[in-house]
Amino acid sequence: MASEIVENCPSRDPLLDIDSLDSSSSVKSDEYLELQVKVFRLAFLLTLFSVGIAGFFWGIQASASLFIGALSGIFYFRLLARGVGRLGTSSKIVGKVQLIVPVLLVLASSRFAQLDLIPALLGFLLYKPALIIQFLSMP
Amino acid sequence: MDSITTAASVVAAGLAVGLGAIGPGIGQGSAAQGAVEGIARQPEAEGKIRGTLLLSFAFMESLTIYGLVVALVLLFANPFAG
Repeated sequence: MASEIVENCPSRDPLLDIDSLDSSSSVKSDEYLELQVKVFRLAFLLTLFSVGIAGFFWGIQASASLFIGALSGIFYFRLLARGVGRLGTSSKIVGKVQLIVPVLLVLASSRFAQLDLIPALLGFLLYKPALIIQFLSMP
Repeated sequence: MDSITTAASVVAAGLAVGLGAIGPGIGQGSAAQGAVEGIARQPEAEGKIRGTLLLSFAFMESLTIYGLVVALVLLFANPFAG
């Protein structure tokens, strides 16, 4: 009875409404998730385009190195996005775990002769054009 | 590899990472401070603030990555090694 009165009360304070807070926070996280998905999609498109061009002009080894570098760049961006998403809620700082990815890439290119350093690094940096395109397309 | 080249490469690698991380570190700290303050003041704009923070972090951290890559190349794939 009392709960029905509270639910039907027209002057219900929206700040105290837990349901509306949950829905608004999910909208915010959806907005952030949507941005990440857009950047990932752009980065994948740029990766496919660049891998095709590299395979046509410089051969399969450069193309494979570029592809591995691009995948590691996308993985780096995913780790960075996770760190930024946690900032202020479960963590007070943005972690530096994502910096392991370029370190491992350079170490792998120095260890394995099949992985060329320059194409792998250029592939790793392919997330930046995707970011620039996304930044310019933002309203 | 010549011992002088080795020593110079190690010193240059340390300087590349150390000096290259100062600027982005300061920038990331102040950006994160501003973003958290902005989210606290305007919780309804959290998604946009986080998105802008992510983009600016990615641009800032790439400067650190440049220094890191130069250092790692000097250490593990040194082009000056005879």
